[in-house]
Amino acid sequence: MIAPRQNPLAIAGLARGRLLVASLCAAFATIAAIGLLGVSGWFLTAAALAGAAGTVAVGAFNYLIPSALIRLLAIVRTVARYGERLLSHKVALEGMAALRGSLFDKLAAQDSRSTKVDTSPGEASNRLIDDVAALEDLVIREPARHAALVSAAVSLGAAVFAGIPALAFLALMLAALPLLFGTVSHVLTQAPAEAAAEALGDLRRHYIELAASRAEIATYGLADQAMAELEPRVARLDHARARLFRAEALQGGLLTLYGAFAMAGVLLLAQASAPIVALVMLATASAVEAMGGFARSLLRRASLDAGLRRIAALDALDPTLPEPLTAQQAATITLGARSFAPGSRVALTGPSGSGKTRALLALAGMQGPAVPLAIDGIDASACTARQLSAQFALSPQDAPLLIGTVADNLRLARTGLTEAEMWDALDAAQLKDRISRSEAGLDTLLGEGGGTFSGGERKRLSLARALLARRPWLLLDEPSEGLDARTEAALVQSLGAWLERTGTGLVLVSHRPAPLALCKERVEIGALT
Amino acid sequence: MVDIAGAAMLSWGLASGVGQIAAHASGPATGSLAGSGPLLLPAALILGGATLRAGAAFAVDRNAVGTAQAESRERRRRLWPALLGKPLPGPLSTGESTTLAIDHNTAIENRDVRFSPVRLNAVLGPLVVAALVAPASLVAAAIMLATLLPFVLGSILAGTAARRASDRQLAALSALSGLFVDRVTHLPLIRHFGAEARISRQVREATDQVAHRTVTVLRAAFLSNAVLEFFSALSIALVAVYCGFSLLGLLPFAPPERLTLVPAFFVLAMAPEFYLPMRRLAAAYHEKQLGEAAEAALAPYAAPPEASSTTPELHFDGLRVQDLTLAFPGIAVGPLDFTLAPHDLVALTGPTGSGKTSTLAVIAGQLQPAAGQVSGNGGAPLPSEVVAWAAQRPLLVTGTLARNLALAAPEASPEDILAVAEQVGLGPLLAQRGGLDMVVDHAGSGLSGGERRRIGLARAILSGRPLLLCDEPTADLDAASAAAVIALLKDLAGSRCILVATHDAALASAARLEIAL
Repeated sequence: MIAPRQNPLAIAGLARGRLLVASLCAAFATIAAIGLLGVSGWFLTAAALAGAAGTVAVGAFNYLIPSALIRLLAIVRTVARYGERLLSHKVALEGMAALRGSLFDKLAAQDSRSTKVDTSPGEASNRLIDDVAALEDLVIREPARHAALVSAAVSLGAAVFAGIPALAFLALMLAALPLLFGTVSHVLTQAPAEAAAEALGDLRRHYIELAASRAEIATYGLADQAMAELEPRVARLDHARARLFRAEALQGGLLTLYGAFAMAGVLLLAQASAPIVALVMLATASAVEAMGGFARSLLRRASLDAGLRRIAALDALDPTLPEPLTAQQAATITLGARSFAPGSRVALTGPSGSGKTRALLALAGMQGPAVPLAIDGIDASACTARQLSAQFALSPQDAPLLIGTVADNLRLARTGLTEAEMWDALDAAQLKDRISRSEAGLDTLLGEGGGTFSGGERKRLSLARALLARRPWLLLDEPSEGLDARTEAALVQSLGAWLERTGTGLVLVSHRPAPLALCKERVEIGALT
Repeated sequence: MVDIAGAAMLSWGLASGVGQIAAHASGPATGSLAGSGPLLLPAALILGGATLRAGAAFAVDRNAVGTAQAESRERRRRLWPALLGKPLPGPLSTGESTTLAIDHNTAIENRDVRFSPVRLNAVLGPLVVAALVAPASLVAAAIMLATLLPFVLGSILAGTAARRASDRQLAALSALSGLFVDRVTHLPLIRHFGAEARISRQVREATDQVAHRTVTVLRAAFLSNAVLEFFSALSIALVAVYCGFSLLGLLPFAPPERLTLVPAFFVLAMAPEFYLPMRRLAAAYHEKQLGEAAEAALAPYAAPPEASSTTPELHFDGLRVQDLTLAFPGIAVGPLDFTLAPHDLVALTGPTGSGKTSTLAVIAGQLQPAAGQVSGNGGAPLPSEVVAWAAQRPLLVTGTLARNLALAAPEASPEDILAVAEQVGLGPLLAQRGGLDMVVDHAGSGLSGGERRRIGLARAILSGRPLLLCDEPTADLDAASAAAVIALLKDLAGSRCILVATHDAALASAARLEIAL
């Protein structure tokens, strides 16, 4: 259950030595913390004994070194803790930045049609983000883990002076702690944690459904019924969270008790002078606390094990980018049994759900083909992604836009684009007016999911991007969805002119009559298979 | 408080244990004390003190969870109905609504569980510790309190200013780190355009920048932690040195007290407790920040439920819209002027995102216009009870189809429901799937877009409300279904007042009047 299989540093691609200074700082901080209390206790007790023994003993008692040591330890503890925090964060943050970069390269070098790694957008990529964040957290905590072991060793070292029974007892207590802690937390927290996560997901899904019906709920005053739908789910979540919080509190309480038990045991078993017993008992308290932290981090690492393995799997991918293919001869494409010469305009028709979008994505090299498609007589599935993307420029149905500026999105299409080219493309996509009205022009920011751009505007920006790619074939999926009739007519006209001027071919999917007028050829998707 | 009492008991146990061993060593008898009687009481005190502490922590937590969840329930009761169905200051996307309702509420609850219980303790705790230490050693208590003042000053200097700056910067950084998520999500598109290398450079630059700037921010944030750490260590060191020298009788001044080992050791063991409450507070500070940010975000929606307006006369004489102007982020509409007769069909047209749905919501009284008036034709205010709404994706609740159809008219008889269901063309569905008792789930599994749309229309008709607002009734429908819905709306216009928002040219041309936004 608590089996650390991989070293987080190795997965993060960090050399072991990177955290050395941070770990040393952590160790110093821990030793200083134990030392501060331990030496203080020892000093105080010895001073009391000397004081009681009379002036001669006081005269012989060296108080300068311990008292100076105590003050030194106070400063070391502060400085070392600061150093540990700062250095571990620095190493982790810089390491993760490099890891993100290299993971991105490796992911980018894969074929979108490959099923080898799940690199699909959405959940998979979010999981990757979470995994890397979790790894970052592990790396940050790594020095504290080392320090916990140092603290155990230091308190055991002190216990040597308290005799074999006390030493053996303390060693047993510290060694058993991670195992006991792991078992207890497994029993106490695992079930409520899972239940809470599940209840939260369930509640969220239901809430989203209801929030999407806001207008109706408001109109008919159905808020109470909506609340009644949510109520049992909320209750389940509350219940699971309460159990989880309580289990965590109980766990903390048990650790306090465990520490006290260790101290009491040392007190009863120690065979040493009072100053030594004082030192060992205070050191024991710190060591149990540190080992508690160690046990917690083991658990955390175990729970992140699957994530770490996912990162390791991605990290093992080949980062070699395929050579870009430039200046390709325009190809003849074959849809089912019919072939189309470069510059043809083909509408792909069929009822919704019949696979038109899928066929466009297959030509674009973003998904495997479900219908027979060929490029220059070569089956699409046998073409490399580069061969396909050299022929086709796609404006997808959902018009995905990157977070960034309008120019960032357009520059995705090709290197070395000039502003004039961008404005031309925006003009052809009937978006020039909208962008030039905006104060920032091409630097207008798009938020997540297109931000302040409407669905129709996103469509047209995505279209402008596809035009800028200057591929021999344009693939358009519902390009005029969300446009009013006038804008649609203007768009169809300017698009037609652009196709005419550049001699570009078109494969179109649309259920609206206006854009379909651009195409001389029709292919029924159902007839392809 | 019980926690500190437990700490005191534990400390006393430690001190008396050490005292026993010391007394034994200096006494006449020799040999080990281990396992013998005098040490059992200290050991018991240690365990007893720890039990008190553990019990106190558990009880406080239990109490805090109970209180936090009770408050959370109360907050949901106020907030959720407002988010789901009360007039709002501006349009709210489903995602935003979910974040406000669930994530922000959880953030506040976490704050209440983790931060609120330690907050009071952070103020009182040190004073109680000092008060407990005072009988054992006044000077030690004075030392602890004396370190408090520079600590507070230091925290203010190192903490507040830096923290505020870093909060702002961290918020900006989170936007930058969102870039990585975004680019990974869009990898297929990036590959399609062969832009891998370019985007990779951009991603690397952004992630490096995030890392470097975050380290800078953290440097300041950790400084305030170091201040706390330093004064906590300093107070322990000063107490230890004072007690040691006092026991040796070597103090350069005449202390007001005569220390012996046990009280001195007790004082030392209690010294870390002095700053412990504040360290706990610092540990929970992040939760506090998140909770407060969430509270600020919820503030505009947490208005107290307004008293139910006196039911006005439900007389409907048509709709009049005068100088209606909408101004929301990203949406600007109007001024609009138009009137609808009691039996009418008018279309509101414009591209997606031009504010059609928001205009309908303003007419329904769910959003506040920037300017202008919505009233009945005679100028009387429009009671919300005359408005029916047919949504693009109608609300479905788990239950029978009959229940779903009659959501807005729970008293409708099965005959009425059946008649309306037939009227909107749900007949084939009823025949196929077991009539009005067919079970529908909230996700509408097994229902087509057209069937859902008809359920929404049937619900609006059953509500008997004279003004029907339809949001994109034909979007995403195939030509045949769209034509059927248009025919149905034309038919309904003979008996009620219908305003449709659409970008469907066929529907717009079926209307008496087209208002372009």
